[in-house]
Amino acid sequence: MRSSRRRSGGLRGLPAALALAAASIGAAAEPSFYATRVAPLLDRHCVVCHGPDKQKAGLRLDRHELVLAGAESGVVVVPAKLKESELYRRITLPVTDEEVMPSDGKPLLTPDEVKVIALWIERGASVTAPASAFPDAPAPRPVRAAAVALAPDWRSRVAEIAALERRLGLRIVPRSQVATDGLVLRTASAPRRCDDAAIAALAPLAPFLVEAELARTAISDTALVALRTWENLRTLDLTRTRVTTAGLAALAGHPRLEVINLTDTAVDDGAPAALARLPALQRTWLFGTKAANEAAAAGR
Amino acid sequence: MNRAELHDPSLCSDHGGESPGVWHLPHVPAGLKREWLALETRRHFLGRGMRALGAASLATLLGRAGPGLMARPAEMAGAPGPHFAPKAKRAIYLFMAGSPSQFETWDYKPGLAKMFDQDLPESVRGGQVLTGMTASQARFPIAPSVYKFSQHGRCGLWASELFPHTARLADDLCVLKSLHTEAINHEPAILQLTTGNMFAGRPSMGAWLSYGLGAANEELPTFVVMTSKMPVRTNVQALSNRLWSSGFLSPEHAAVALRAGGDPVLYLNHPGGVDGEMRRALIDGVNALNRQLYDEVGDPETNARIAQYEMAFRMQTSVPELTDFSNEPASTWDLYGPKAKEPGTYAYNCLMARRLAERGVRFTQVFLRTWDQHSNLPTNIRLMAEESDRPTYALVTDLKRRGLLDDTLVLWGGEFGRTVYSQGTLRPDNYGRDHHPRCFSMWLAGGGVKPGFSYGETDDFSYNIVKDPVHIRDLHATLLHLFGLDHSKLSFKFQGLDQRLTGVLPSRVIDAILA
Repeated sequence: MRSSRRRSGGLRGLPAALALAAASIGAAAEPSFYATRVAPLLDRHCVVCHGPDKQKAGLRLDRHELVLAGAESGVVVVPAKLKESELYRRITLPVTDEEVMPSDGKPLLTPDEVKVIALWIERGASVTAPASAFPDAPAPRPVRAAAVALAPDWRSRVAEIAALERRLGLRIVPRSQVATDGLVLRTASAPRRCDDAAIAALAPLAPFLVEAELARTAISDTALVALRTWENLRTLDLTRTRVTTAGLAALAGHPRLEVINLTDTAVDDGAPAALARLPALQRTWLFGTKAANEAAAAGR
Repeated sequence: MNRAELHDPSLCSDHGGESPGVWHLPHVPAGLKREWLALETRRHFLGRGMRALGAASLATLLGRAGPGLMARPAEMAGAPGPHFAPKAKRAIYLFMAGSPSQFETWDYKPGLAKMFDQDLPESVRGGQVLTGMTASQARFPIAPSVYKFSQHGRCGLWASELFPHTARLADDLCVLKSLHTEAINHEPAILQLTTGNMFAGRPSMGAWLSYGLGAANEELPTFVVMTSKMPVRTNVQALSNRLWSSGFLSPEHAAVALRAGGDPVLYLNHPGGVDGEMRRALIDGVNALNRQLYDEVGDPETNARIAQYEMAFRMQTSVPELTDFSNEPASTWDLYGPKAKEPGTYAYNCLMARRLAERGVRFTQVFLRTWDQHSNLPTNIRLMAEESDRPTYALVTDLKRRGLLDDTLVLWGGEFGRTVYSQGTLRPDNYGRDHHPRCFSMWLAGGGVKPGFSYGETDDFSYNIVKDPVHIRDLHATLLHLFGLDHSKLSFKFQGLDQRLTGVLPSRVIDAILA
């Protein structure tokens, strides 16, 4: 957190939230402790009742000057005077106390969150004091990495997807409402309809498919040659299909395949060696195959 | 693709025109026609837009349109779909109705051994109102577990000797010790767990998932319930379709209950003298009549009815295949044990649950009841544990070795806890325990929960929660989260409210148990 005045390239070591805040303020300004650590806590725990929509007890906690302005009954934050700060008293009461905040059974602040508020009040409840002035503050919760795009946005291809679904009798469903989470090939309703020809016909959609549920389908090793070109495929379920070790060899070098299920297939003890040629592989199942004994070694 | 924007209207054009409506029925007096139209509700009005969809679905069944896109009407209405990428694709809820005591299962309280027959301190009970079954007791004597505990797995889970098989799963389980509920009797408590509300009439968890995610396999119901044969014949809990109903959601989201004996689904077999073609013609006829009714009245429930006939027809082929265990390898029977060959047993139902999971059924709920040990607890809980332990272990192990556990959430538990004090006479080797809503234990496995983990703590008497309480609403919010659904967004407009599984009271996803 010392690197505040460097340009954005120098912010790499900072937690993502700080980096983001810094970027929005401008590379020259150091993010304030209030903006990066205190305000988000107030937003998360308090503003639903003490904000623009509701002002219980006449209190708003959504802007710094309003926090200091206090409630109908008086100030709630006295800078540098923790024990006189009603806000601090309320968030540290036992859960059974009628006056505890947040009220109505909402989750209380964690000890780390309370400490952040306490340090901020003790050091003057400033809106500008930089985050680096609080080296003893508990580390912020790790911010979830920004969603990684697993596949290109499929939405412009809707008509094509629908036509292929109809023609092949398969389901191609979005993995989630996030358009870059990719598509799932789903065959559970009629697995026998899905064969090598169907996999070949799906080639135009290959970049969007991140998961192929092919258990009990009629595919053979031929399909695996095609699946090798589905470069965004992460998860492949081949349970109870005819695929063999030779087919697995055709997948060699697939850059992103992480999970492969070979339960009840004809693969043999050559399977672990073939799987070893999948650089991104994380999980494998070989139950019910001749290679099952090697599963532990190959899979985990 | 089952998204509204993917829906190809051209497929439905032969049914999309305006209906002649009530005015064209020659035999209906004009006054009655006016009254009828006046009664047409907003729902009927809005429902008319759905009419074409039901017809298209029927067309699919009859082979007039390609399969796949044209599925069941509710799916085409556009299931809200996962809000974010899911961890779990399916769940199997092993519901131990009657409520196993936490003291003899997963909440080890070694300190109680020295307190045998001492009175429960009044400060612990804190003036709590008790059930009529023990409120009049002169004393509340502490009853330590007669069963011993030992540690298992790398995580060191304390497990009771009643569950030697399940204990071997220690490093796969996520044990919650701090669930709590408001309900103190079975029916409301079971309802609250299954539907989120103590009053009957709400959609159950499986129905919400069906509504939110649609079907992964259109040949089978999205939500299946099985009730197991009872090992004990006392204190039997009533289990009924209140617990697996679709409530105010479309009826097709309700569970199909597979029967314990005889045909798993009634009337799927052709009756004597009736062949498949005649059955098909009958269903076509009924559906045509229903479609005509729908054209006149526009009640969406008519479409649900058509969908149910279609589902029944599809189940005529999918259910015999599902229930034919003859292709199971010897390793299956070695794992589940010989009882799994007897339809209706808990062991059979556990194996069936695995087969349903393989086929993409989203939510399977297996009930095993008579855990309600108000008296003779030591004997009866042992009988129950013997019934439950091995098949439960077998199911989780089977899912795991087949690569299904990663995206199948398994839940095992009852509807509330039991009291630390004995109901009735306390002897060193015999006692009973009353209902206790303030804390109870449950375990989860797979489906994106943290393995080899325990969450929540109770006090020395397992009477009050001292750390990390989990309300049933929190469990529901977490379950939906694992399926990629935001519990605050998954809603259905009914009685003027955006109804949700978690209701309107505060609820949270338990982040700490997410893997």
